[in-house]
Amino acid sequence: MRKAKPLPAQDIKPAPRQAGLVLDAQLHLLDRQILDVDGVPVTTVDDVELSGPAPGEPIPEGTEAPHITALLTGAVLGTRIFGGRPPSSRFIRIPWEVVAGVDTVVSLGVRANSLDASWLERWMRDQIIAKIPGGRHDPE
Amino acid sequence: MILNDLLGTDVVDSTGQRLGEVSDVRFALDAAPAQLLSRARMVGVVVCPRTATSFLGYERMDVNQPWPLAQLLRWRHRGSFLVLWEDIAVMGPDGVRLRSEFTAYESTLPR
Repeated sequence: MRKAKPLPAQDIKPAPRQAGLVLDAQLHLLDRQILDVDGVPVTTVDDVELSGPAPGEPIPEGTEAPHITALLTGAVLGTRIFGGRPPSSRFIRIPWEVVAGVDTVVSLGVRANSLDASWLERWMRDQIIAKIPGGRHDPE
Repeated sequence: MILNDLLGTDVVDSTGQRLGEVSDVRFALDAAPAQLLSRARMVGVVVCPRTATSFLGYERMDVNQPWPLAQLLRWRHRGSFLVLWEDIAVMGPDGVRLRSEFTAYESTLPR
């Protein structure tokens, strides 16, 4: 790997102020827990999907900046240990349109039952827990 | 495009000189209000000349506690800068190439 050439400190200017909330993806989004509108944990943010130009293609000047289209979740434990990432088709998307807030957790404006991300929990409830005697009602 | 394809990739200027690695991608929620939260527009990439991994973002915030850790991490990430989207010529899993005459901005987060 070639050594990077650090820029002289005087070449680094004060950043322009943004009008809205500023988020750094690694600091404020990745690995944050996602809660639904009732505060029920849904999943965590494993990756983020961006709109915009095709990767590796030259970007013409004046091209509109990409934006976040969805938060992604999926089975990333193996790839975090051994490298790489799962194929895009293996991720479950949570569209940015249902995100209601970003704080120490990412909160959604919808219920977890309406999202693909909670399919495993629903399947466990319906196929396994519900078949256990007493599994269809609250403990007495 | 998937964000993790971009994080940690090399950043080079228009002459091919390596400037560092993408340590983060900055977004701003400054679009027109939507039903819940406005669009998160990409502002630019945070480039670190020494390491792509940014631990807790000490170099981008004025947090000083615990003091030894803050000093160590700030020193490790010295020289980090923000490059705006307008100055990015090519972006992808193979790296980021900047336009000639790009401007480097301080990577500190607004308070």
